[in-house]
Order: sequence, then C-alpha cells, then structure tokens
Amino acid sequence: MPITTTRRRLLAGSAAALALPAFARAQGAVKPRLTAISQWSAGSDGAAITALGKKFEEKGGIWQHSPVPGFTTEMMNKLRAQIIAGDPPACSQLKGPEIAAWSKIAPTVDLDSLVAAAGYEKVVAPDLAKLHKPAGKWIALPLQIYSTNMLFLSKRGMDKAKADKVPVTWADFNELAEKMKSAGMAYPLANGGTRPDDGQKFEASFAGISPTAYRTAIMNLDKKALQGPEIKAAFAQTRKIADWCDPNVGAQPYATNLKRFVDGDMGMLIMGGWAQGVLKNAGFKFDDFTIVPGPSDNGKPVFLLNADAFIFWQRKEADLQAGQTLMAQLVMDPAIQTMYSQITGSIPVRTDVDLSGAGWSDGQRRTAAALKDAVASNQAVLSLAHNMAQENGLTAAMIDVITEYVKNKTIKPEEAVTRLADAVESSR
Amino acid sequence: MVRRLPEFLMIWVPLLLSAAHLISFSIWTIWISFTPSTLIPVSGWVGLHNYTAVLASRNWQIAFDNLLLFGIAFVLFSLMTGLVLAILLDQRIRAENVLRSIFLYPLAVSFVVTGTVWSWLLNPGIGIEKLVHDLGWTTFHFDWLVNRDMAIWTIVIAAVWQSSGFAMALFLAGLRSVDADIIKAAQIDGAGPIRTYWRVVLPTLWPITITVIVIQLQFAISAFDLVRALTNGGPGIATQLPALVVYDLMFQRSQLGRGAAAAVLMLLILLAVLLPYAAWRYVQRRQANHA
Repeated sequence: MPITTTRRRLLAGSAAALALPAFARAQGAVKPRLTAISQWSAGSDGAAITALGKKFEEKGGIWQHSPVPGFTTEMMNKLRAQIIAGDPPACSQLKGPEIAAWSKIAPTVDLDSLVAAAGYEKVVAPDLAKLHKPAGKWIALPLQIYSTNMLFLSKRGMDKAKADKVPVTWADFNELAEKMKSAGMAYPLANGGTRPDDGQKFEASFAGISPTAYRTAIMNLDKKALQGPEIKAAFAQTRKIADWCDPNVGAQPYATNLKRFVDGDMGMLIMGGWAQGVLKNAGFKFDDFTIVPGPSDNGKPVFLLNADAFIFWQRKEADLQAGQTLMAQLVMDPAIQTMYSQITGSIPVRTDVDLSGAGWSDGQRRTAAALKDAVASNQAVLSLAHNMAQENGLTAAMIDVITEYVKNKTIKPEEAVTRLADAVESSR
Repeated sequence: MVRRLPEFLMIWVPLLLSAAHLISFSIWTIWISFTPSTLIPVSGWVGLHNYTAVLASRNWQIAFDNLLLFGIAFVLFSLMTGLVLAILLDQRIRAENVLRSIFLYPLAVSFVVTGTVWSWLLNPGIGIEKLVHDLGWTTFHFDWLVNRDMAIWTIVIAAVWQSSGFAMALFLAGLRSVDADIIKAAQIDGAGPIRTYWRVVLPTLWPITITVIVIQLQFAISAFDLVRALTNGGPGIATQLPALVVYDLMFQRSQLGRGAAAAVLMLLILLAVLLPYAAWRYVQRRQANHA
C-alpha cells in the first residue's frame, strides 16, 4: 500500500517535531549534547578526537563534531561565520592569546566551578593557566601539550659522528653539529622551510639562551629586552643553525627530511613531540631516534609550551549546557588526557599524570619530566612560532622578520634585532 | 515578445544577480577597509589608516614589486611561447590534434597541482638539478626556487607553462581565420613565409593579442593558488604577491580592515588594466561603426 501524506498530516508532524525539544526540556530529562568544531580531521589528531567523542557517547551524550580540515585559520573562518550568524558551537578548538581575543566578540561559559571541582588549577603550568582565563575566569580548557624545542637525535647519525653525549647547552649542540659535519653530513640538522619551522629555530635559540629574556621580550614585548644582548645572541645562534640546515627544502614541511634524519644523513631535528607520530606513521621505530629537551645554557630544561585547547561558547539550550559540563569534566580527566596524548604523541596538561606505564614513549616521559622541571624553575615559556605567545597579527609580523633572516644570510644579527623591534612597534 | 521571454530571463537574471553580488561585495569591502575591524567586521571610522599601514608594510612593498615583475614577464613570455607554438602548429603538420591537446593540457590542471609539481621539479635537492648532477654534469646549477632573488622567476616559469597553451589556442584560431586569398596574394607577390607572417598574418592578430594580454594580466594580478603551492611566498617573504598579502592579513593575522584595504588596492590595480582596455574597445567599436 502506498504511503500517502496529506498536507494536514505533514503539518501536524512538523509541529510535533518542533515541539519535541521543548517537551524534553519540560520533562527535565535532557541528554547532554555537544556541538564542536576543530581542525582535527585526519591522522593521529583525527583519531584522538574521535576517541574522545566515543567516550562522550559512552557517558550518555550526543557528540556532534564538525572537523574543518586544514589549518587553524580555516577552522577560525567557520567559527567566525557561526559567531556572526549568532549560532556559535558549544565548544571549539582555539589556542593561545586568540582565546582572549575571540572571547571579546561573543560570550563564553564561566568554567571556574568545574575547574575548582576537578582541582585542575594546581596541576597546570601557570603561564598556560593564564591563557585560559584571560579575564580572571576559566573560559577554555587546555587539552594536550607539546614542547616545540625538543631535540631529536638520530641513532645512526650519532653513530656516524661517533658521538654518545647528549648535548645540553648550545655550545654542546654546536660542537656536536660540527662533529657531524666533519663526519660527512652536509646538513647536520633536519629542517623544513615553512614559517613556523623558521620561527621554531629562533625561539629555541632565544629561550635556550635565556628564558627570562625570552619572557620579557617575546611574551611581554618589553622594549629594552627586545633590543637586549640575549636576543642578539639568539639571532646569532639561529644563523648557525640555518647554516647547518638544508637550504633546498623550499617551502616544504620538515617531514620531507625525516627519512634523511633516520638514515643518519642528518643527525638532529628540533621539533615538537608531534614528529613522533609522523615518524611512527612513516614506519620508523623508537629505536631509530632519541628525544631530549632542547639546548639550555643554564643546564635546566627550557620548555616552549604549545597547547591545544577548547573554548566554550555560551548557549541557552539545556542539552548543550549539559554537554558542555560533561565535556569539561572529560577534558580535565587524567584518564582521558592519557588516552588522548597516547594517540597524538603529546603529553597531558596535568603535571600529575604518571607516564611510567606502557603506552608512553621515552620521548613523552622526558618531555613530561622537562615540563615539571621547567615549571619548577620558572623556565616554561610560551611558543611564538605556534601562536602561543602573541596574537596572530603580532606573531605574523615577527615571524616575517625571522623567516627573512633565516633565508637571507646577508642580514646581520643586529639588523634583525632592529627589524624585529620595528615590526613589533608597527603592529601594536 | 512572449516568445523571447525565456531568453530574456536566461541572460539577464543571472547577469543582474552577478552584477549585484559583485557591486555589493565590492562596496562592502571598501567600507570595511575604512573601519577598525579585526576579528569580525565592526563599524567605526579610521580614515586611511589601514591603507597607510598596508602601503608601509614590507610585505606589501615586496608584493607590489613582485607583481610588476611577474605580471610583465609572465604576459610577455606566455604571449611569445603561445604565438610560436601556434605558428608552428599552423603549418598543417601531422598529428596536429595530438600536439594541440598536449599543449592545452596544462590548462586543464589546477594551479595548485601545477605549483606542487613544479615545487618538486625545481627543488635543487630532488628535482632537475639533482637529475643533471646524477647524469654526470656536477657543476650544473639551478637553484632558483630557494634563491631569494630568482624565486619569483620560478613562478613565471610555472605560470607560463600553464597558460601558454591558452594563448596558443587563441592565436591558432586567429591564424586560421586569416583569409587564405590574402596569403596567396602575398605568395604570388613573392613574399617568403617569414615575410608573409610578419607583414600579412600577424597584423591581423592584434585584437586577439590584446585580449590575451588582458586575460593574462588579470590572472597575474589575482595569482594566488600557484604561488601558495609553489613557494608560499618564500624563501622568507621574497615571493609575496598581493593576493597572498590579502589572504594573510584577513585570515592569518585576523586584521580584516587591513586585509580589505589591501584587497581594494588590488582592485585599483585591476582597474588600471581593465579601464584602458574598455576605452580601447570603445574606440575600436566607434571606428568600426564609422567605417
């Protein structure tokens, strides 16, 4: 028998459908629901967020994640459109000072009581905590941490150079690079040619030379520190690094050189923990390389923080609000952070998670130990190259100077210092 | 009248809609360029501040210089290559269809793909330079892609490769439409093939040449995907072009106002090409009507 739909039946049906959410609210039986947008669609990032969604559903929630493939900026364009349309997602990925900037264009959720209930504040690095409560109240939650200045040492490269000592200071590093060069490696340092890649070389140099000067100059934009002797030394070290890098990479990502790194044609790599995941996916083993904290002239680890986070946008719907509460609790949960980091190669935001068990790599253990030490000695600072230290506009203006300096070896360090200070001044 | 209504709707409704879109978005962009907008559009008035900031920035200055060089070199080279290919194909050779398809093929490939492929070919570590080294000529040097002064020329190479076929197709159509009797007359008068082309055939191609120049120039001004895939504005910021600067300001740096100002500057550059062309067309039409 064919199904016939009369207009009246259709109208009645849609009226019932429209009334349903209101009816559910009236019953007080809301099912937590979360609308989320992020850039994490593929690879280990995609796998991790999918796993998080599964946990959300296990707790009885409805998980509605819309990934926007590409870079953070693509995700931001969708976020911008949704905010302008008055329909922000219940939560979205956002990190660094952008949290403060974006929180001014739409109302956010006050997470203070949830954070207090989880005892979260005590276990988060102070500089990181500040970013997520720009006006004094928690409005966003960090999800995972990377250090952008981890030093990867190639086992075969070390063997080739007959080196067994892990470099601690920049002097050690420079010595090892020279050693590798005399052992026949034309380019001892694996690199890419992208802007963040160049930025990472500079920030690792600067923070390794003086985390205090880095904090005042790059994070606080102090005029005097921006022209101080440490920043000049940082540019000089960056130039040394650039001379050890393959200039032929063009605009390609660092991953282009990973095989040469593992094969020992390039002995070292300065990169965040995410490179572990890329190496693993490319079929390389953890025996092929070692991960240690990047060079630090005072011997104590310097940690250049790069943290992914979620910001929570105010919604009136009861089910979305319940979803936000559930999501916040999940993100702060040590078990969830463990699961997430084990998939992506990052480390948990919580400094109290035990990484001794199976499922963690030595590199992750060393990264977590470095974070603990760095927080204790006040040497955990925010990464410039990965948009943690400044808003996008200022970051981009500074990276312009750095990337030009890395690629153009006729620019002198003191010239670069002046240009950087000018760039900061003109984009304020 | 009733019979012509469908045609009327088919042509004019879409045309008016597109025109309305174009004009309203242009006005919107111009308005934004005078506001202090950053993350989202806001109202307010900052006068020419965004324009002075963009014009003073190193990125824009480099982008503008690059645009001049790229625009002129790209148009000249693609015109020349296209014309030579068209003349060669015009010799009633065998397998003309196959060759024509081959020359036109790059046009079917998106600029992103072109850029990516050329970025591998031109990479000295893995591409052409390495190939020649491996063949035994070890002193061969071709590192333009990573050389700050020469990188802009790699974009010219890739862009010419992509669009010479387009110029060729237009020129070939022009060559084929030249009256065979005129060519025969020239031959009877004793002109050789080169002289025939130079004096008789090529002068008839002027309108096509102008069209090709204008189309290629507006591509050069709005070039984005090719550069993004090939050099991404690098090494450093050496191959910036205006479209990259606009994208960068709007979507990487969240400075909508400045991005809009840069976009308006691009529009002005485009008008500097299109207005003279429109004027030329107008004069041509009037002359044709008078004749």
